[in-house]
Amino acid sequence: MREATLTMTESISGKPGDAVNRAPAAQADPAAIQESELVQRARKGDLGAYDQLIQRYQERIYATIYHMTSNHEDANDLTQEAFIKGYQALKSFKGGSSFYTWVYRIAVNKTINFLKQRKNRSQMSLNDIDFNAEHDPDLVALISDKNPRREAGLTELQEKLNEGMQKLSEPHRLVVTLHDVQGLSHEEIAKIMGCNIGTVRSRLFYARQQLQGFLADYLK
Amino acid sequence: MNPDSENFDSLRQLLALKRHEVPPPGYFNRLPRDIMARIKAGDTGDELGANPSWFQRFLSVFDLKPVFAGAFGTAVCAFLVSGVISSEHTPAFAADSSTPVDPLANFPSGMTDSKEFVSASNSAPIISLFDNQPSLQTTPVVDRQFYYPSGN
Repeated sequence: MREATLTMTESISGKPGDAVNRAPAAQADPAAIQESELVQRARKGDLGAYDQLIQRYQERIYATIYHMTSNHEDANDLTQEAFIKGYQALKSFKGGSSFYTWVYRIAVNKTINFLKQRKNRSQMSLNDIDFNAEHDPDLVALISDKNPRREAGLTELQEKLNEGMQKLSEPHRLVVTLHDVQGLSHEEIAKIMGCNIGTVRSRLFYARQQLQGFLADYLK
Repeated sequence: MNPDSENFDSLRQLLALKRHEVPPPGYFNRLPRDIMARIKAGDTGDELGANPSWFQRFLSVFDLKPVFAGAFGTAVCAFLVSGVISSEHTPAFAADSSTPVDPLANFPSGMTDSKEFVSASNSAPIISLFDNQPSLQTTPVVDRQFYYPSGN
């Protein structure tokens, strides 16, 4: 539990902009070179290499899908299918972007199509909150204030937050998830969503406004 | 409009909670194994979230806006009603007035002169599909000769 928690928290706790700073350095990063080697080997049918790629990105892909669906079972199925589809389509991967961005795009497209299909039967199946949450500076500040959030408790806050997220349209929910939860930069989000940075910024602004309205009772 | 410059600090603090939602223990140890097993089994990964077919997209339009479903139903009803009305005003056997057809042309000569010639049908022509109710027109009786064995 702790192992999984730490790995997931580490992988998604970057602040917005971190990813931008990482990107240029990634060219000389041995890990990045290894990624291209793994991709080459996987393209030749080396399942062991693809297994390593899965282990490298599974947490971020799962987390994005989970935050989009608010349902663990759906996120599990979609994560599996995104990686399977990635393997099937690996021959069409030109290497113009990183494998990470490419597989992310597959996962996002699958998730959005899935959400359109299930439109009227959304049901939340939320994951547990790890015990590190009580020590998170943001959450400590949030709960220590004297307002409805204090009485609510983390579980109720979690439910309200996920309900609010589900009220957003898919593109707006995706932008909030990738930027405010996953910590991706505007540039990376634009690549994943296939739109320009201005669109990402405007969607983020609108989504935050909407979310702030939904959660007004739990915010200052 | 810069979303980062606006005052969304409280919201961002609240969103931090989502980073602490974690799947069941050991989940990320099982996930790669499950994926590899499905790849080895020849799974294509198209069960969920595949591109919807044109029919699914067509239905999803109704799903999003019920008014489209109502409009579509009205259009179908109007089409059916107009079809019924037009069929009532169109003769079933429309004759071309410019080239009159001789109904007896295909019969051998002499046969048409025979008193025994009987028209193919004595009933009134059907005007439309919905007008073929039994009529009260009487069918003329044709003298019939009954042949009996000789000696009777």
